[in-house]
Order: sequence, then structure tokens, then C-alpha cells
Amino acid sequence: MRPGVSIHVLPNSGVPIYRQLIDQLKAQVAGGRLPAGEFLPSVRQVAEELQVNPMTVSKAYSLLERDGVVELVRGQGMRVKEAATNGKVRREAILPLLKQVAATAKQLALKPEQVVAQLKPLLEDPRHE
Amino acid sequence: MSDAITPLQLQGVKKHFGVTTALAGVDWSVPAGSVVGLLGQNAAGKTTLIKTALGLLRPSRGEAKIFGGPSWDMPAATKARIGYVPQVITLYPWMRVRQLINYTASFYPTWNDALASKLAMNWAIPREDKVGNLSVGTLQKLAIVLALGHEPELLLLDEPAASLDPGARREFLRTILEIAVDGRRTILFSTHITSDLERVADRVAILREGRIVYDGELDTLKDSVKRLHVTSPTPLPANFQVPGAVRLKIEGNEALVSVRDVSERLVDDIRRNYAATVGVQDLNLEDIFLELHHA
Repeated sequence: MRPGVSIHVLPNSGVPIYRQLIDQLKAQVAGGRLPAGEFLPSVRQVAEELQVNPMTVSKAYSLLERDGVVELVRGQGMRVKEAATNGKVRREAILPLLKQVAATAKQLALKPEQVVAQLKPLLEDPRHE
Repeated sequence: MSDAITPLQLQGVKKHFGVTTALAGVDWSVPAGSVVGLLGQNAAGKTTLIKTALGLLRPSRGEAKIFGGPSWDMPAATKARIGYVPQVITLYPWMRVRQLINYTASFYPTWNDALASKLAMNWAIPREDKVGNLSVGTLQKLAIVLALGHEPELLLLDEPAASLDPGARREFLRTILEIAVDGRRTILFSTHITSDLERVADRVAILREGRIVYDGELDTLKDSVKRLHVTSPTPLPANFQVPGAVRLKIEGNEALVSVRDVSERLVDDIRRNYAATVGVQDLNLEDIFLELHHA
């Protein structure tokens, strides 16, 4: 696979493989590792590299297209869209994790201020990349 | 195009052996171009299902069809479109590998010599060895080469990876993916090893006691079957119920519920009705398989 793109899947995880692909590619687009205008590796390439069913990869790609992250360029493949790297997409990418944090915080009866107070130093710590 | 015809279809198929019921009424079809994993415990009826689908066994009731025609009365032209690797492989032990490949090739006008040679080489099948001297794993690989050489549109494999060591199994799965990559072939393989299936299959059918208890996309299955951890501030009532639950365990304020069809609404309803927190846990295929067998 081309440098820059790195995908790892755990086939026997409870998260379907297509969603693992979507999550990782979205994160890499949002984080700028896959900049606008870049092409995703071909379905065949990803399927062979990761040893997963190609239908699973094309499913992930078409959902990324539907979500406006990439666009299909005839004869060339899937290209990362300009708008995909904007702030809204980046904020959306982190939302599922934040929801988990919120749910756990409620279970532990932590106050919002307490959670934010704990999160802030983590965000500012250069070791947490 | 032939793709429009369902490669394999069973309608109300029952199969009895004396007083034993192997298939208890199977309505099932395999869509063209899919890679389907047929999952079931030992003695669930997997082999009977495959043999009935192929017309090697006659259904006691109902009908099995291949490419639209009855399996029991399959014309030679249809047989040429099918590849099959049985669970128990019996090949001519006195032939050399090379001879057996040539012999098999002679039955098929569409035999792809290059493909058969490539596979035999990749899998290090010794061409000059007598078939009778091959190890179980190598014999299985040879059987797969023989089943693939004529480039069948429909490939049926009964527990193909069972006697392969982990390395050969990976190699075999890679081959399945290579064959599947163009989407022109339909592949059905039975297994009780869920991790094999999770990599290569796009659909899964779960056979339990002679019935198909789930049939659909693997992704959909993983997206819909979830385990809910319910924690309520007060003890949960004895009649605590969740729609679509396949397993439910209540202990004081907590409950573990496995549901067939999770939805935000379902989770919200539980939260609201019991003032509970609900954690949603993803399950892998093995977990799901076990959960569905509890029901």
C-alpha cells in the first residue's frame, strides 16, 4: 500500500470490517495523513493486502463516498474531497468516542467539569499523539 | 446473463435418514457472486445440506435447485459449472499427482492449465508423488486444485480448512479471496471455525439442528446482534423483558441481554423505562454463534 495510508483490521472483532476501514480512513483524512486530492488505494490492493473480501472494501468505499469523504473519479479511483478535511468532518470523527466517554462518565457519576478537567491535560500532553 | 439465475436454492427441503432428521425444512438461497460461509456445530446438517444442494442426496421433501434446474436431475452442462470438494476426499491413490490432474482436466473443455499449475506450485503439491502417499493436508489442497481447474461458477467446499495447518489455511483463504475478487464466482464453504469465515465471507448462514437460523450479510449480523449491559439504580423486576432478546440474565440491579436487532430506539426505551444505563457491546462471530445457540 502507498505510504501515508495505514490500515489494520481485526477480522474477529465485533466491529464489522467495513466499519473498521471507514473509521480508520476517516481519521486519516481528518488528521491530514490522507490530504485532499490524494487517491485511496484500489479495492483490489486493499483486499489483497489485508486479506479480506473485496466486497467488504468496496462497501466501505461507497459509504465513504456517500458521506462525502471521497469522490469517485472514473478510471482513477476514489479521491479524497476538499471538504473532507474541514473542521466539521474532523469534529464528527471524534464524536463516537466522546459519546462513549460521556456514557461512562454518567455511569461513574462524574460531573462534566471533572471530566473536562481530566481531559484537558491529556490533550495538551505532547506524549499523547 | 447467467448471473441473474440463483446459483443455489433450496425450497422446503427436508432430509431424513431412517428416524433421524438431518434437515428439518430448509428454505435458503445463495445469491450469485457471493462468498457464503455455512456455519454450524458438528452434526448440524452441513454436509447433508451441501450434498442435497448438489444432488448427491435426494431430499425427502421439498426441492433443491442449481442454476434454476433441479439438483437431482442435473444435466452435464450444469455439472461443468460446479466445483465441489467433499469433506472426505477419495482420489485414485495409485495415480501420480500429475496424472490425476491431467485425467481430471480431460473431462472439462474449459480446463485452465495455467491456473491448476500455479495453484499446485504455490501449495507445493509434489507433482510426481503418488496420490496415496500424500498427507491429509496436501490431499485436501489437491482436491481443491482439481475442483478449481475448470473455473467453476459455483464452488462448494465442505469443511475445506479442517485438515489444513494454520499456514496452509491462511494460504487457502488467500486463494479463496483471489478467486472471489472478480465477483463472477459464487463460493459456499461450510465450517465450524468462525475466524476463517470472518475474513473471506460476505454472507453467513447459520445452520442449527437442520434449520437455517440466520441468513444474511456478515456485516449486518455484526451490526444487529449486540449484548446490552443494563444497570438500574433499583433492582430490575423479575418480568424484565427486552424485545428480540435471544438471551437474558438478570442479577439484582443488572442484566445482560443479547438482542437480535439492536436499535437506538430499543436502547433508549430500556434507559427510559428502567431509569437504567445501557452499555452496548459489540460481539464477534464466535460470540454471536454461541448466543444464537443459547436461544
